Amino acid sequence: MDTGVGNGLKRRDFLQGAALLGLVLGLPVTTPALAADAIPTGRQLRVLDRVSDIVIPQTGTPGALATGVPAFVVLALAHGLGGTGVPVAASESALRPFLRADGTLRHLDWLEATLDQAAGSDFLRLAPLEQVRILTGIDNAAFPPGPPLAVPSPWASLKGLILTGYYTSQAGAAQELRYELVPGRWDPDVPLKAGDSAWSNDWTAVEFG
Amino acid sequence: MQDFDAIVVGSGITGGWAAKELTEAGLKVLMLERGREIRHQQDYETETKAPWELPFRGLGDSALYQREFPVQALNRHFTEWTQNHFVNDHENPYATAAGSAFNWYRSYQLGGRSLTWGRQCYRWSDYDFGANKRDGIGTDWPVRYADLAPWYDKVESFIGVSGAHEGLAQLPDGRFQPPMALSIVEQAVRERIAARWPDRCLTIGRTANLTEAKPDEGRAPCQYRNICNRGCSFGAYFSTQSSTLPAAQSTGRLTLITDAVVERVDHDPKTGRVTGVRWLDTKTKQRRSATSRIVFLNAGAFNSVHLLLNSASEAMPGGLANSSGVLGTHIMDHANTLSAIALMPGFEAHTTFGNRPTGVVIPRFRNLETLDGNGFTRGYSFQGGALQSAWTRGKRAAGLGAELKQELHRPGPWRMVLVAFAESLPRATNRLSLHKSATDANGLPQLEIAFEHGAQERAALADAKAEAAAMLTAAGGNVVMGLDQPGPGGTAIHEMGGARMGWDAKTSVLNRFSQAHDVPNLFVTDGAQMSSSACQNPSLTYMALTARACDHAVGLLKAGTI
Ligand SMILES: Cc1cc2nc3c(=O)[nH]c(=O)nc-3n(C[C@H](O)[C@H](O)[C@H](O)COP(=O)(O)OP(=O)(O)OC[C@H]3O[C@@H](n4cnc5c(N)ncnc54)[C@H](O)[C@@H]3O)c2cc1C
Ligand code: SF4
Repeated sequence: MDTGVGNGLKRRDFLQGAALLGLVLGLPVTTPALAADAIPTGRQLRVLDRVSDIVIPQTGTPGALATGVPAFVVLALAHGLGGTGVPVAASESALRPFLRADGTLRHLDWLEATLDQAAGSDFLRLAPLEQVRILTGIDNAAFPPGPPLAVPSPWASLKGLILTGYYTSQAGAAQELRYELVPGRWDPDVPLKAGDSAWSNDWTAVEFG
Repeated sequence: MQDFDAIVVGSGITGGWAAKELTEAGLKVLMLERGREIRHQQDYETETKAPWELPFRGLGDSALYQREFPVQALNRHFTEWTQNHFVNDHENPYATAAGSAFNWYRSYQLGGRSLTWGRQCYRWSDYDFGANKRDGIGTDWPVRYADLAPWYDKVESFIGVSGAHEGLAQLPDGRFQPPMALSIVEQAVRERIAARWPDRCLTIGRTANLTEAKPDEGRAPCQYRNICNRGCSFGAYFSTQSSTLPAAQSTGRLTLITDAVVERVDHDPKTGRVTGVRWLDTKTKQRRSATSRIVFLNAGAFNSVHLLLNSASEAMPGGLANSSGVLGTHIMDHANTLSAIALMPGFEAHTTFGNRPTGVVIPRFRNLETLDGNGFTRGYSFQGGALQSAWTRGKRAAGLGAELKQELHRPGPWRMVLVAFAESLPRATNRLSLHKSATDANGLPQLEIAFEHGAQERAALADAKAEAAAMLTAAGGNVVMGLDQPGPGGTAIHEMGGARMGWDAKTSVLNRFSQAHDVPNLFVTDGAQMSSSACQNPSLTYMALTARACDHAVGLLKAGTI
């Protein structure tokens, strides 16, 4: 595709312009403050760290911890992202101890209690492989083979937020996967080779899953 | 002596066209826009932002959305990147009648929804303009394809529409730039459908994204980012900002005022003409006015009707230009649903490069020469495309750790999606009116929307679900889900009607040149004028009708008849 144009913007100029603009303004990403009741306990944060690390460990590329996933999950829960702000059906008695007055779930309370219960003791004191085994059990129960659960497990939302936190972080989106702000062309058929990575910014695919 | 030759209300897809055509014809034009100014290439604040540069990573602040954008946030184009290109629902309330659900997706800003639209551009054919006459539902269109063809040519050439020539009677070819290519999967589906159903054609979307530069207008070709609704500094898709506004401004005859909510069109009962408009300057809270020889309403279908209803006077108690009593009635959208998603095995060794900003379309094949719809007399068509599942598939399946990471590293299975748009019938009971008591922030009565889909639309979507599944199965796919119930009214974001065109001043608001039967110097050239909805995306037709109405109005002005 020819990208040079008369007095229109050229791709190269555009990229330079965007980069310069960023440099000049030095636009930082500001993180919104949390409401008091959205601040997790120290132990909940340690549980979330451990769980995020199990879901997306460091491999050849950074994992969830190095990319700040737990902090994103805390922010996301405080603002109800990924459906976590929607009230839970009152009939879900197993969840009742973890509900706020408005019917929404305290996801981190639920996670902490569910892991400790499955561990039969303090989840954080178990050996790492034991922790993986326990989380695998919860994960398998949340996504059984066949049709999805009528009432989704809270783990499905938490896992979704961990994945979002990771694959929208710089390392997750642009190092683990491929991110191209300006592809510049469209090739309708390219051989897929072993080791090729998926795009993190194929927006339609991201949306439809 | 009037302040202006013409006043254009609204700066969206149709207002931009009216401003361009009228200024280029030599008229001195005032364009009024209720929203803020957004400057091309300077104010597209989120255009180049990566997800990690946004606090909510592109998903946006759900708590804020629930409070302030509860309707807009229901639309999948509303994200953290685009939230400032849609209205704040809380600040811009509307009412729905008991039993009605209507999601009204709006962009109040310079450029209107030309910034946020999906850019799909399809001509209508005489199957569409003849539809009301054929089955007797609604009033006959006083326009046929031959009237509009030269105006489609003009609009397509100027805005730049890429697409493939297919020679279809129901979806006439236009003046296209070279098409974007079908992906390998879509190409295969096209061939397999054609082999089984010679009358069904899957073709690339006809889209107002440039595949060739338009150097004279400072517009570069598309860079395949598919982030258009953030605003595009390449000017590679059609918007008011990239296209019609610079053309109008270069004449030196355009005055543009933003932050100006037009509240009323003034009418002189002695002459029977409109004399100008009044607006509220939302920055200073001052009320202002201007006079003109003609007025063009381009506020978006429902807002133009709202303005006509709010402009009622002693001489016209039911609303301006409403001697027929049909103003506000026969509103439409399209009945819209996700007809099928199928897994498409056999392409595991293939992928694509780039983000194509359009999908594909399967034009209408029902109720053409023969009425073969089961329970419906109009048409439906599909839009959609093939995609390779992304990392988000990990949210739906079991799996953890290095293995999960490895699995999500690869593009996932190919899938094909087909979304149906079924023609919405013009019904008198689907209508806009002024709410009896509720008012908006500026004290004007709120618009109330009464809308329901009918049995015909549901029958069409049931057929669409069955046919989508049959086609994707014949193309080698495994259908995993499909729906046959329409989303609430407004879901297709093709709301239209309310000031329909017609032959007869007793049963319609506008004549065949989008001119009010009752008021010869008043023109309504947005979606309000539509007498039926067809099943194509409507904006190209609005633009063609606008250009045609401008030509007519200028002719009448020159002849001294208005
Ligand atoms: C996400 C999305 C995708 C879409 N995809 C497509 C598509 O693919 N193809 C297609 O054909 N259509 C599509 N549409 C619909 C398309 O955007 C509209 O049909 C089109 O913009 C209508 O043009 P318009 O000029 O009538 O109104 P708009 O573009 O909405 O412009 C109206 C303008 O008038 C202003 N205004 C309103 N009231 C007043 C007032 N009282 N005083 C002053 N100014 C006022 C508004 O602020 C706005 O700027 C899509 C829309 C959306 C939101
Ligand atoms: S896809 Fe094309 S038109 Fe859309 S934003 Fe990118 S360059 Fe612009």
